[in-house]
Amino acid sequence: MLQTIKDVWEYRSMIQSLVNRDLRGRYKASVLGFLWTFIVPLCQLLVYTVVFSIILKSNIERYYLFLFVALIPWNFLSSCLTAGASCIIQQQSLVNKIYFPREVIPVSFVTAAFVNMLYCEIVVFIVSLFSGVHYTPLTLLCLFLVMIIEYVFALGITLIVCALDVYFRDLEHILGILSMAWMFMTPIMYDISVVPEQLLPVFLLNPMASIMQAYRDIMYSGAVPHINTLGAAVLMGIVFMIVGLLVFGKLKRRFSEVM
Amino acid sequence: MASTKTEKPPVVIDVQNVKKKFRVYSDKGATLKERALFRKRRAHSDHWVLKGISFQIRKGEAVGLVGENGCGKSTTLKLLTKILYPDSGTITMKGRISSLIELGAGFHPDMTGRENIYTNASIFGLSKAEIDKRLEGIIAFSELGSYIDNPVRTYSSGMYMRLAFAVAINVDADILLIDEILAVGDASYQAKCLNKLREIKRQGTTIVIVSHALGQIEQFCERSIWIESGEIREQGSPFDVHQKYLRYLNDRENHLLSDSADEESSTEDRSSGDDQGKGGSDSRGSKESGETADDGMRWGSKDMYFTSIHIENREGTTTTVLESGQPFKIVMNYKVDRPCEEPAFGIGIIRNDGLQCYGTNTVIENIPLQAESLGDSGTVVVDITNNTLIEGEYDLDVAIHKPDGFAYDYYRACLRFTVFSVIKDAGVMRLEHEWHIAEE
Repeated sequence: MLQTIKDVWEYRSMIQSLVNRDLRGRYKASVLGFLWTFIVPLCQLLVYTVVFSIILKSNIERYYLFLFVALIPWNFLSSCLTAGASCIIQQQSLVNKIYFPREVIPVSFVTAAFVNMLYCEIVVFIVSLFSGVHYTPLTLLCLFLVMIIEYVFALGITLIVCALDVYFRDLEHILGILSMAWMFMTPIMYDISVVPEQLLPVFLLNPMASIMQAYRDIMYSGAVPHINTLGAAVLMGIVFMIVGLLVFGKLKRRFSEVM
Repeated sequence: MASTKTEKPPVVIDVQNVKKKFRVYSDKGATLKERALFRKRRAHSDHWVLKGISFQIRKGEAVGLVGENGCGKSTTLKLLTKILYPDSGTITMKGRISSLIELGAGFHPDMTGRENIYTNASIFGLSKAEIDKRLEGIIAFSELGSYIDNPVRTYSSGMYMRLAFAVAINVDADILLIDEILAVGDASYQAKCLNKLREIKRQGTTIVIVSHALGQIEQFCERSIWIESGEIREQGSPFDVHQKYLRYLNDRENHLLSDSADEESSTEDRSSGDDQGKGGSDSRGSKESGETADDGMRWGSKDMYFTSIHIENREGTTTTVLESGQPFKIVMNYKVDRPCEEPAFGIGIIRNDGLQCYGTNTVIENIPLQAESLGDSGTVVVDITNNTLIEGEYDLDVAIHKPDGFAYDYYRACLRFTVFSVIKDAGVMRLEHEWHIAEE
């Protein structure tokens, strides 16, 4: 596994250019171009604000921020889960013809999605400042840490699903459903406090629950996340990453035969 | 052992008893429903593409892999590239590997040529700094000039391939793997690519080429490995190996032919023995194979036809290998089924790249032939007193036809022969010449 990580590191310029190609190629032909990266989350925010302050009044204050803080990181994970699943198949012409560490493709995909999330997070950050959230160096450090954890976790998941998807194409569709169910199982639209107490331990098995909680602590409440929340997230992130690398390492050997 | 072979460069590619199988599904279900419902249908059989091959390649060597389609040569190359993994056996490669298998990998149509150089080169494992260093060379080699800053989608396919090749060739790999790519752009650009490859080779890069263009391999490689049904059949100097390979192909082709159209025009007759062809083949097969032009290689009315064709060297032995500057004979036996008016015999010699080197016939040369004088059967000998063909591979065409071109029996590429030469001169044919150098 160390060798794999070393190989991937040697191909970092490939990762960089694939990420670049993805981010810049995405809006290349459009008039507003890169601005779309910011326009989409802003419009999303606008819609949520209108809906939840006029139509579906929530008793959570500043609900738009409450939701938005969790929704952006969720969108990142969800895109890794659904679009990320097909990332190897999308690049099959490369995989079938050229050698490079196969891990480069999911790493590039997740990194591009992550960078995209970072841009959205800039919007979230500014909005939260306007809503009166205070940041301290410690909470900023925690925010950074949480993002890294989510990245590692998302990468682990993507490694697993994209490798499986090569052998079993139905996975993409199954994951679409799964991702929706997972979203409702995670405290994104609601607060974790509404979860019945006896279900809570099960609920916390969901790695995204602790990650979401941490985001919300920092960017909504302006507080330092509880050490248990962070610890659980770190542990989950590392476990999924290792499992992901192992599964991918096993499955990658026959990619080019199956595709 | 090391002490006795100190001059030999180190082994950089070491393939030991590599086997590879593919699963052939009779009906592959890739979806859940198919997998769940039709478990039985998913029966598969194993197809061993490689049945245990071993070879070693030393630093700086250029090696060609030849063989028929499906023999496993491309699979071997893919194993070397690490796109596929062997089922058993080991492959050890030392140094940076670059492959000219897929050109233009990862090109994004909306990005400029320059941007795509970065993407493409990084896929070959080059770092940003390394690409920066090569950028000018790549752009120069691509001959794209100011187009380099236009989006790739505006390129013609020729420009696209030139850019792609320019990147791949400038990677500076230690080992270069090439799969049938020397068909880039126009003839002059191809020559440029070949020159570049030679230069790379001179710099000590190890090169492995898979190609059907045997001539290219001969020009380029010191060694050829002939793979047949997943095993190494022969390896050695390209010249010798290709000779055997071509003979094998030829024999087998004729075998197939004779299976369907019997032994009437079998090469076995011509190549293995000169005499049995003459008397051996009776007339019975001539009609059926005659009117249906067998495979596009032989056609005509078959009122008169060849029963055997062979080449003799100066000693009178039947061969397909000739030496430049020596006499040889083309011996053709014919048979007449029905009297033909104004028959003429012709020969043509075509180089393996399709260039016609020489052609003549009895009409052009005003040699009168009367149908009566030909009898029922006979022999035509073209006695070539001096073989002025230069080194290479050639196909022999023979024909019996009317002066207006109507063919009684036209046999395209009936024989392939090889000419070797001590003098490595170039061109189409050798002009008879002498050098006179005198000091004033």
